[in-house]
This record gives sequence, structure tokens and C-alpha cells, in this order.
Amino acid sequence: MCDAMQTDNDVPDWEGRWRDVYTYLERSGPFAIDGFEPGDEVKEVLHTSKILVIGAGGLGCELLKDLALVGFRDIHVIDMDTIDISNLNRQFLFRSSDVGRPKAEVAAEFIMKRVPGVTVTPYYGKIQDKDDDYYSQFALIICGLDSVEARRWINATILRMCEENEEIKPIIDGGTEGFKGQSRVILPTHTACYECSLDMQTKPTTFPICTIANTPRLPEHCIEWASVIQWPKIFPGKKLDGDDPEHIKWLLDTALGRANQFNISGVTYTLTQGVVKNIIPAIASTNAIIAAACANEAFKIVTSCAGYLQNYMMYVGDQGVYTYTFSLEKKEECPVCGSTALKLEVNPEAKLQELIDILLDRREIQLKRPSLRTSSTSLYMQAPKMLEEQTRPNLEKKIGDLISDGEMITVTDVALPINMRLTVTFAK
Amino acid sequence: MDKKTQKYDRQLRLWHAHGQAALEQAKVCLLNGSAVGTETLKNLILPGIGSFTVVDGKPVAGSDVGNNFFLTVDCIGQSRAKCVTEMLRELNEEVAGYHVEEDPVDLVENKPDFFLQYSIIIATQLPESALLKLADICWDANIPLVVVRTYGFLAYARIVVPEHTIIETHPEQLLDLRFDVPFPALLEFAQSFDFEKTDSMAFSHIPYVVILLRCLEAWKKRHDGKLPSNRDERNQYKQSIRAMQRNDLPDAENFDEAYAAAHRAWTETKVPSPIRQMLDDAKADAITPKTPNFWIIARAVRDFVANEGRGLLPLAGAVPDMKSDTESYVKLQTLYRTKAREDCNLVRNRVTSLLASIDKPADAITTDEIERFCKFSSHLKVIRYRSLREEYTLNTARSHNIGQWLQDLDSEIIYYVLLRAVDAFYETHKRYPGFHNEEVETDIGLLKKCVTALLAEWQITSATVSDDHIHEMVRAGASEIHTVAALHGGVVSQEIIKLITSQYVPMDNTVVFNTIKSTSSVFVL
Repeated sequence: MCDAMQTDNDVPDWEGRWRDVYTYLERSGPFAIDGFEPGDEVKEVLHTSKILVIGAGGLGCELLKDLALVGFRDIHVIDMDTIDISNLNRQFLFRSSDVGRPKAEVAAEFIMKRVPGVTVTPYYGKIQDKDDDYYSQFALIICGLDSVEARRWINATILRMCEENEEIKPIIDGGTEGFKGQSRVILPTHTACYECSLDMQTKPTTFPICTIANTPRLPEHCIEWASVIQWPKIFPGKKLDGDDPEHIKWLLDTALGRANQFNISGVTYTLTQGVVKNIIPAIASTNAIIAAACANEAFKIVTSCAGYLQNYMMYVGDQGVYTYTFSLEKKEECPVCGSTALKLEVNPEAKLQELIDILLDRREIQLKRPSLRTSSTSLYMQAPKMLEEQTRPNLEKKIGDLISDGEMITVTDVALPINMRLTVTFAK
Repeated sequence: MDKKTQKYDRQLRLWHAHGQAALEQAKVCLLNGSAVGTETLKNLILPGIGSFTVVDGKPVAGSDVGNNFFLTVDCIGQSRAKCVTEMLRELNEEVAGYHVEEDPVDLVENKPDFFLQYSIIIATQLPESALLKLADICWDANIPLVVVRTYGFLAYARIVVPEHTIIETHPEQLLDLRFDVPFPALLEFAQSFDFEKTDSMAFSHIPYVVILLRCLEAWKKRHDGKLPSNRDERNQYKQSIRAMQRNDLPDAENFDEAYAAAHRAWTETKVPSPIRQMLDDAKADAITPKTPNFWIIARAVRDFVANEGRGLLPLAGAVPDMKSDTESYVKLQTLYRTKAREDCNLVRNRVTSLLASIDKPADAITTDEIERFCKFSSHLKVIRYRSLREEYTLNTARSHNIGQWLQDLDSEIIYYVLLRAVDAFYETHKRYPGFHNEEVETDIGLLKKCVTALLAEWQITSATVSDDHIHEMVRAGASEIHTVAALHGGVVSQEIIKLITSQYVPMDNTVVFNTIKSTSSVFVL
């Protein structure tokens, strides 16, 4: 027997459903945020706030469950992937019969079936497909993404929107890797943004090309040789697909051949996959921790019932239980949220290409193919093709001949969602 | 690749096939199908534990369905044990799930043997007296007990087990290169390089291990067989490395590596003192049929160190990557691997003898396990937890430490104190403080009395618990918010995985998580 209570909105609540959540919404306390008013209004805010979850994978599944059970009723979720069998050890909204289906759709279905009164609106596609109008409808955005690029894009987009509209749309960002993870709260224009902390990303493992080509020592070198040198040779123009078992098998055989030639042991199918796809180990527990931490912050921020994370928590679980919580500083010259331009001192005799090389080297900027222009002229533009051909000769020209001391350069890049301002001064 | 390996691929990369095998043999028991309990189980079922059992005598209430993902509205009134088990089983068809419709407190009081069939017990929502009795049962049977609770925005967990041994702690780095005591084959290999006659391409591919060894041997010849022993000598030694470097090299990466690793040459290779203590532990003295594998192997290693090892642990055998031509690197790697295998075989023989002395066959301990023990011998860990009795009994409680920690106003220990006070409140008033809105105001005063009494009992005079904290604790009203339960379920499940696989290091022994400030601390209580 159950007591189903129909509310005004026709939402099927039952006696005691929100007992635990309402405990904090019906009483105030010293740790509530200034201005918190317990009562029906804040409950309404919680139940009617629109939340966006980006990613329906390891973090996304957990986020949807946590948000639904803590009282959010209007949740949107974006994910561009379909379900793979290797997801099933942690992405618990999916079953083996779902393999191949879009994650966002299956996740939404499961949550709506399990948790009455919640609407989860899925979108199977890229975050870049959506426009400002779409993002502006949300009170808060939570990211459970696995790529730096996607995070940079959403960070820059929301930051720009917040600056234009003079509003604060919080972004909560979570990430995990094996036994480690982090969650952070970004209050646009107030706290450090995602771009401010790019140099905190772990540097991906790369092997020098001469080792791969001439003096392999590790099984990884053999695998890289197969994927980076041999594949393009044997299959010119054909894209290597790390998810295609046929491709992996070919790489495995090729790598094994090379390994045998050099007496190197250790090439396995698992290692091959791991190297080619840059696989990061993942388990349910770490995802549960980080996602719940993010959802918990969303609950506190939206209701003000308790103070929220200021502003970054790192979690490490392989040796004991260790968290490190600190306030990440906003960077003055952050290209996304900063107010000043990045300053660079260069040798005016150096070529423009060298300036570009310096920029590419910087860990805290992470550019891929930068284009540079001043207020009056294009220095080097990567696209369109005509403009690239026109400006290519500039790469060999001296910087001192192209710009003046202290001039402001604008840098754009496919990796950088917005423009970056750079003030270049000449070294004496 | 079979479907199971594919499914578990991402976790196998962390704990490998033998860790997975350990998980699949585990029989986990959860007491009370609370939100944090089921969230913990979820994170154990997904990676594939052998089985789980939920023991719970309560029927499903409306509030349970509200905070628990593994209950639906039509479960209200039915057995909570039965309902959560059905929904949890659905997560992973490889995992067996059972339920027992009984109050865990009854089992603790009347059927203590019930618990002996499990590899690990997770206790949630148990009153203090029953918890202590259960802890005794588990302690005597050497079954790990994990006490788990969330309270408002707080989370608490305690691991209780007499001893937990770890072979694979997964250290960041495993370096056992033995520059100061090179084994004969290694020395021979280093000497085989003709530094004079090599062309510059080959010279820039000489592995740094060889460079360091040659410099060290030259040094020892000039210094009576001694290692560089003070700052001046060490600088001189480092200069001798650079002196060997030729000017015509295309790049000097191998010499840079040698220079950066120079200190390894004068660092004495020896048994680290925690390992020394471990090997000398009483548990490795008298080997009986009851001695766990870990201690049998430890004894074998102890004897190896004292004899064939000549004071050193078995060689780890791993060699890091370094600038080198393929042939030299592979030769170097093979050298270390061969010596490691030789050492391991000697340990293996000793293990076999020890097993024979207790009438056990040689395969009672697998070669894999012995190999891992030898490889990671300098990073082994033994944790001996304090019992719950010790924690709760006045004259063995760490009340002095609690008093000290409380003086740091940011320390999470205050929440431990508040939880203990809340339990004392429950013992007296048979309800939790602030459970109902009307009770909040008066309960603040009542809880404060419990806190004061507790501090007095512990003889803590130099610190207090602020009124703000007491107010917030009453405000929490014993609520179990799903986000906090989910977070804590993640933390606890991870500790349990470490306990079951005996890989990586579990915390010792209490973790308190404050999810308002998103901070946590571990205390030994």
C-alpha cells in the first residue's frame, strides 16, 4: 500500500519521499549561505530548476541518478557517443542489450523509468551543435566530460555568455582517472575558469620519433611504430579506428613482428588497445565519488542551504583516502576570463615561425594551429587556403619587420574557443 | 577477447586478472539496505564481486524510496532486504545476490555464527551496542568489518580487521638497480663496453646504467673500494660523469640521465627499515598450518636475505626505460630479469621447504604470488588496525589525540565527536536530535549536554565544540541525502576493493568527509 500524493504539477510524490532533502530546506542553520530562507519557495526552486548534464558516461550516469534523487526534476543531458561493452563495468544505466544505442537516450529512459516525476531530455550529439539560446535556459551546468577540448569549449561559451548578459551561470566540472579524480566549481567571472588551470592537466605520454623509428626498447614503442609509421605506409589515406577490432588486430600483429625482430617482450592485445586509444583505467567507485560531489554542489548552490566548494577538490584513492581542497586563483591573463593580455618578450630578429613555436610549447595555452593577426593586418592565418598561402611567406620574415615593439596580437586557434590577446615586446 | 574481459577491461588495467579473481571470490554482506549501503554495493557489484547478501528486517518506507535508487514506490511496505536485492542483482548478471529478512541486531545477539560465511561485512544503521558486539565477532573470526554512515552532509567510515597484508601497493616507481653492489653479470656487462673505440652514434646510445657503473667502478678503484661519502666527493663523482662525455655527440641524453641519477650510485642498497621490521615480525617466526601465505613467504625472504641474499632483498628485476640502443637495453633488461628469477627461485625453494614442514604441497602457494612478493618486496605493507573495542573503551581510547586534534578548528575530528555525541543522545532519548522540526530548538541544548559529557569522559579540557557545529548537527536531523550517500558509497566501495584484492593501500582506520566544505581527513582512532 502506498500513499501517492498528487501535487499541483501532477507530480507523483508520496509520503516521506523528500524527508531527507527537505530536512535541510525546512530549517536554517549557521552553515547555510547568507540569505537562505527555509520553506516552500526554496523547495520550488529546487524542483523547477533546469540543469544541464554534459556527458552520459561514467560520470554522467551517476550525475543523472544523483540529481534526480536529490530533487532536480528538469534535467537535460548531452552525449555524442553510443554504448560500448567496455562501458558496462561502471555506466550502470546501460545493459549489454543497449550496446550500440546512444548513451544520452538510454540514460534518460532508465532514469525516467526508475525515478517518478523527473524529466530527462536527451540530446545525442555534440555540445557545439547547441547555441546560446539552448545554454541560457539552464540554472547550472555540470560537466562529466572526458576531453580537454570539450571542456574548453563549454567553459569559453558560458563565460562569454555570462559576460555579455552580466549573469552568473555556474559550471561544475568533474573528471576521473583510475583512483584519482577532481571536482570544481566555476562561477564565471568570479572564480578561476577552466582555461585558467590548463597547465594542471597531466601531460600525455609521448615517445620521441627517433626511438620509435630506430631504437625501440619497450613494447609501447613497437605499437607506436605500427600505428604511427607503418599504418599510414600500408594504408595511405585510411583513418585508423581504435574501436575497430580488425584495426587493433592488424596493429597487434605488426607490433609483434617488430618486437620479435628486436627481442622485445610484452606486446599484448590489451597494451595495443591501451596505447592506440590512450585508454584511461576507469572504475565505478571513483566516478561515484566525483559525480556525487558535483551533484552535491549543484544542490547546495541552487538552494543555498549550505556553503559550497571553494573551489577545487582533488581526490586520490590508491594510497589511503586523500583529498586536497583549495581555492584556485583566477589568472589575470587568462584568454577566456582574464582582463589583461598575455605578455611575451621575443627577439625581434627571430622569425615569425619561432614566435608560433614558442606559443605551441606553452603548457598553459595548449594551442594546435594558431593564427595571428594585428589590428591592421593578418600575420599568419591557417585558413582559408588562399589566405594561408598569402600569409605563409611571413613565417620566414623577422618579427621586428612585421610588428612594432609592444604591439597587441590576436591569436585564434581551433583549440581555443575564443580570441587570445598577446602583447609582444622586443628583447633588448 | 571474450565478453567478460571486454566488459571489465577498464578495471583490469588497475588490478589485473588476479585482482579480479579475488573480487569474484568475495562474498559481501550488507547490514541494512540503507542508501549508503546500496550505493556501496552498487560499486562492488558492477566490477563483479562473487556475491552479496543484504540483511535487513525493516519494511520499505516512503523516505527509503526517496533516497535510494534501488527502491521504487511499489516496494513500500515490502521487505527492504528483498526489494533492494532484486534491483541490485539487475546491475550485473554475473553476480549472485541474496537477502535475509531479519534484523541484523537479532543475528548479532542470537546467531553470531551467521556472519562467519562472509569475506567482508558492511555495517550501516546499527546501534552502538550491537555494533560493538558485531565487531567482536568479526575480529575473532578475522573478517574485515567496515562501519559506514552518513549524517546530513557528513560521512564516516571505519575499517576494522586485525591485520591486512599487501604485496602490491602499486608504488609510483620501482627502482632496484644496485649500482653500489652490482651482481657479477651486471658488472661484466658494464665492462664489456669499449668507451674508447665506440663511434659517437653508439656512444650516445650507451645506457646510463652502464655509464654510472663504469664511473663508480673507476671511483672505487681510486678510493679504496668506498662509495662517494660526503658532499665534495659526490660532486667530484658527478664531475667524473661529465668528464666521460665526449664533445662530438649528436645529443647527450644518456649522459644527462646519468647525471640526474648520479645519487643512486652512492645510495646504499639495503632492506628498508619498515620491511626489515616486517621480515622480523613474530608472525614469521613459527610457521604453522594456520600461518597465512604472506607470512610464509616473508619467512622465506627473511631467510634468503640472511643467506644467499647477503643482506639484500630479492632483486626486483624491473628496469626503467632509458636512452639506449635496442640491443644494449634488451641485454640489460634480460640481465636484471635473469638475476631476479634466480633470486625468486631460491625464495621459491625456501617456501616449498616451509610448506613441507607443515605438511602442505608446494603448489599451496603459487609461483605468481611468490614472484610478486619478490618483485615488490621493498614496498610491502602490513596494516594492523585497532579494534572497535579499543576505540570505544575509555582507557584505550585515543582521547588524548582527539583533544589535540580538536584544537585545530578546521579539523574534521569535530564531526567524529559530534557523531559519538549523537549516538549518546540516541541511547538516552531513543531518537535522533532534530529529527522533527519542532524538536530542533530544544535538542540543541540537549545535544550540547551530550557533547559536554563526552568531552568530560575523555578528559578533554583544552578544546570545545562550537555552538554553531552543534546547531548544524541538530539541523541535520539524521537525514541521509542521496548525494552524500552516493559519494560515500564510492569512497567505501573503493576501500573494500582494496581490502578484497589486497592491492593498493586502504586507509587506516577512520575517514570523515565533510561535504559542505568538500574536505576529508583520516584518523587512527
